[in-house]
Amino acid sequence: MGKLIKYEWRKQRTTRMVILISLLVGLIAFLWGMLFKKDVFAAMVLLVMFSVSLLVLLYTGIESILILSRDLRTKQSYMLWMVPRSVWEIVGAKFISAILQMLFSFAAFFAAGCVCGAALLYYSDGMRAVIESVQIIVKNFFEGGNLVNIFWFVITFVIAWIEIIMIGFLAVIISRTVLLNSRFAGLFSLVLFFVINWLVERGYSLIHAIPLLQNAGNLGIWNIWDCVYYLLISAVLFLATGWLADRKLSV
Amino acid sequence: MILECRNLTKTYRGKKAVADLSLSLDTGKIYGLLGENGSGKTTLMKMIAGLAKPAEGEILYHGHPLEYRDKAHIAYMSTEPFYYDYMKVSDVGRYYEDFFEDFDMKYFQDLIGKFGLEEGMKAKDMSTGMSAKLKIAATLARESELCMLDEPLNGVDYKAREEIIALILEEADDKRTFLLSTHLIDEIESFVEKAFFIKNGELIKEMDLEAERMASGRSLTDVYMDIM
Repeated sequence: MGKLIKYEWRKQRTTRMVILISLLVGLIAFLWGMLFKKDVFAAMVLLVMFSVSLLVLLYTGIESILILSRDLRTKQSYMLWMVPRSVWEIVGAKFISAILQMLFSFAAFFAAGCVCGAALLYYSDGMRAVIESVQIIVKNFFEGGNLVNIFWFVITFVIAWIEIIMIGFLAVIISRTVLLNSRFAGLFSLVLFFVINWLVERGYSLIHAIPLLQNAGNLGIWNIWDCVYYLLISAVLFLATGWLADRKLSV
Repeated sequence: MILECRNLTKTYRGKKAVADLSLSLDTGKIYGLLGENGSGKTTLMKMIAGLAKPAEGEILYHGHPLEYRDKAHIAYMSTEPFYYDYMKVSDVGRYYEDFFEDFDMKYFQDLIGKFGLEEGMKAKDMSTGMSAKLKIAATLARESELCMLDEPLNGVDYKAREEIIALILEEADDKRTFLLSTHLIDEIESFVEKAFFIKNGELIKEMDLEAERMASGRSLTDVYMDIM
């Protein structure tokens, strides 16, 4: 499966390059603003970087779904489906690659945020302030229970994205098996995406209506049963996607 | 027998692209798949290559139902270019090397040199002829048991056509089976051993070329013109 992931990962290289170059430009602009005391400019750069980071994280998740759709729409699908690998490996490789891409984007923006924060402290209060802040943050994480909260935040975030990607994959596969190469297949998969998403959320509401589960597993603002539910749904979606592709998909 | 198709049917948007088609291929022979555009040749090849699922019927490979592992022994070259946009000639070679154990990189490099291609050329930017040569080189560099070439002579100049035919003949032996689809019947008449005529998705005639010549003196072209 490693080789499949390697080629899937390669398909999103352009996006990674754009993210890295944009971040570099943003960082240079921010540091220039700090260095030459252009506070308004630096603040605007920060604001833009923050807004763009949200959009990019959203796009990287969707991009993997768009790539699957393009792969199935064009003859490039032969590249994947002619190799002696099972459908499970192919879909699995696409899924893992999508998660890796999302983690890469997240890590890149997190690193950029750290650099900006450190620079801000350095130019306002010197190197000592930077070190002290890092120490305070680390201490809070480990002693104030924040580490657990952050851990659950990251886990919930990743699981939510896994679920979104799996819904997208299933919508595309259903669309390409039912409508084949119809020009409406893209629109149909978009509608399906929202329908499946609605069904998943409906299931979530129903489960939360069970009295025993209402307050069970609460970890601060994160609920462990939410994670379990979305993980189970993701597994079901993955199985449905693989099963359908294995039996019905023609490329 | 290397491959058997039993009552294959494939429908696209309510229209039967392949209809109740049965045929079998023996090891070590060169077969021609002949028919007009849209007759179902490509769909049949795609089903054998595991790219399309039959609606009905089954495909047996060495006696067992075709499965994904069999793709390790079946090479398929489609008419249209299918390589990823970013791929250069060298990337195509690496891709085949990564996924097919029967791929011979050295032979692939020899072939692209012979065809006048360079490793740094981008597959996406190639002319039809160059693209056809790249596809042929990658497919023939696999020592697959079954090699299916869909319109391998399309878009290539006369000299390249002769080179491709020479290559197929060079590769053909008693262990490898070739299935070629083409409109250029004259070009394959000299080396194809058996031909399948397909019309509207149905197999309308199987012809053993040598036996037909001995019996009626008719060429492949004559038969094609008669029944199509």
